[in-house]
Amino acid sequence: MAPPTLAKGKQINEVQDVVRGFESLGYITDPALATVLFLGIKLGKPVLLEGHAGLGKTEVGKVLAAFLGTRLIRLQCYEGLDINSAVYEWNYQKQLLAIKIEEATTQSVEEKEKHIFSREFLMERPLLQAIQAEEISPVLLVDEVDRADEAFEAFLLELLSDFQISIPEMGTIGARHVPFVILTSNRSRELSDALKRRCLYHWIDYPSLDKELKIVTARLPGIEEELGRQVVSFVQAARKLHLSKSPGVAETLDWAQALMSLSKHRLDPVAAEETLGCLSKSVEDTGKIRAAGIESLIS
Amino acid sequence: MAQTITGFCRFVRAEGLSTGIKESVDALQVANLIGIEDRDQLKIGLRSVLCSSKEEWDRFEDLFWIFWRDADTNAEKRPGTNGSKHQKEPLKGAVTSLLGNSSKGKTADEGGKAVVGASRGEHLKKADFSQVTQNDLAELEKIAIQLIKRMSLRVSRRLKIMKAGRQIDLRRTIRKNISRGGDPIELSFKNRKLQQSRLVILLDVSGSMNPYSLFLLRFAYALQKHFRKVNTFLFSTRLTDITVLLRSRDLRQSLQELAQESAGWSSGTQIGESLHEFNFHHARRLLTRDTIFIILSDGWDTGEPEALAAELAAIKARVRKLIWLNPLLGMKDYQPVTRGMSAALPYIDLFAPGHNLESLLALERHLTST
Repeated sequence: MAPPTLAKGKQINEVQDVVRGFESLGYITDPALATVLFLGIKLGKPVLLEGHAGLGKTEVGKVLAAFLGTRLIRLQCYEGLDINSAVYEWNYQKQLLAIKIEEATTQSVEEKEKHIFSREFLMERPLLQAIQAEEISPVLLVDEVDRADEAFEAFLLELLSDFQISIPEMGTIGARHVPFVILTSNRSRELSDALKRRCLYHWIDYPSLDKELKIVTARLPGIEEELGRQVVSFVQAARKLHLSKSPGVAETLDWAQALMSLSKHRLDPVAAEETLGCLSKSVEDTGKIRAAGIESLIS
Repeated sequence: MAQTITGFCRFVRAEGLSTGIKESVDALQVANLIGIEDRDQLKIGLRSVLCSSKEEWDRFEDLFWIFWRDADTNAEKRPGTNGSKHQKEPLKGAVTSLLGNSSKGKTADEGGKAVVGASRGEHLKKADFSQVTQNDLAELEKIAIQLIKRMSLRVSRRLKIMKAGRQIDLRRTIRKNISRGGDPIELSFKNRKLQQSRLVILLDVSGSMNPYSLFLLRFAYALQKHFRKVNTFLFSTRLTDITVLLRSRDLRQSLQELAQESAGWSSGTQIGESLHEFNFHHARRLLTRDTIFIILSDGWDTGEPEALAAELAAIKARVRKLIWLNPLLGMKDYQPVTRGMSAALPYIDLFAPGHNLESLLALERHLTST
């Protein structure tokens, strides 16, 4: 399989290129993630990102597309996702109309059939789009693949191995430029071994205090240093409380932004209590945080 | 270098990572791309091709450094020879001791044992959990994990097609009716994809359940691993939601954390009270006509039987099926005459034993029929 095609003039020679490129786009990576992405680009292998929600898995796909200067094609998976919404669908209304219009013509049934099953009537869904790129490889982001069912997973596996899709009415369409593929999973169920083994695997963990602080400053340039530090260390402490839904980086950013909009310069117990909803998304978790003592979590 | 990399691949395979030849080839490519000088970077790169889960990822760290420290200190010695064995053993020991008592390390080289093992497996399937000796426990656990995995895969597959409804398949319909000018005269149908059933499991961890609860917990864990919608609760005098705990981490770690949470292990039982808590906090969210509700308990209740009956009635009204597995039912002359149990019986769709592996596997039938 030929590796994906990069934009003209785009050179990626070492891991540092990825680190710098992502950083310039406001995404703080660590050596591990950058290396995996680098290998994914070089080897043309899909990258499977697993980890808890809100840690920037989806963002990786978006930033990668921006970094490579290519198009992002996103497929959001859900339970019951089928080929019709993931790969292609015929435009039925248009087909019906065409049949009506052609009623009067002398075309044979075969000709009519050929016509209404031509590209004109084909609606391309993300996976078909992803293998149809004209010039450079797009980024295909298959989001939350654990939510799709096993049947779809099997189909995806097939697609990822030979990047071609067969449409019974039309024939087989092969990829001109193999896409860069990023898969994300929240691990709500185990993915099949076959799929995992096809991919480079990366587990995204909660960031360290330093990294999270860097992320906050990168994403919210206006934040006061003290506030940022307090918010991050509060969240880091909250993650140790075994909440049913540990706050991710997304929650940290939400919370910091909320505090900024309320013109807070420091995190005090009152402000924390008022905005706790940004951090904890259930009554039980709020209870746990209160029980641990909001004041003691503020540094 | 190539030899060292393939040696490393062999080493991690021997340590239990699920890698094959394809991964070894990938590993070589990775090493070619990023070089082997920067060990941290090499570790990251190899990890991404040789690991495929968080658990493997966590183990990889140690394996990597053991191997490379070894390869560095005596460069001539091929990995896998005595040099690395020395290092290997203590690690294996540490891992197995964490696992509780798996006998994997000892019996691996005795091929003749397989036949004996099979019939022993049959025997173990029927053994009451409370009677299983410490030695057999590891064996039983291994069989259980395999069988339960297979069972839940079958069940989850079947649950999906169980209630296949009919929906018009526009695509086939149009195709079929081209010769009729596109008017949909002959209709094609497709099977509707239905949502998977939800399992809600309530596991009794009070004192009287002691011989069984740990095993039943593993059962719940296995189910949760293979079904998308499973919620698991522990109860004794109060209710603890352990769905999240069982979800993402490995069982060992979950069990350790569970032990720390004061769920009232080995204390008295108040089933009615616990069910009330469930009904108050979780019922609206979790109970639908598609839910199968499973209680694993011996029915020894110190609360009021009326309270228990009322709560069960409320649950029964909302779910598709209410199953009660009682380990005591495995005893020959057991009669469900405790006040709690007899108050509960009218509301239960299926009352079955849950004292050995076989009885748990028998659940398969009931999870798939309506």
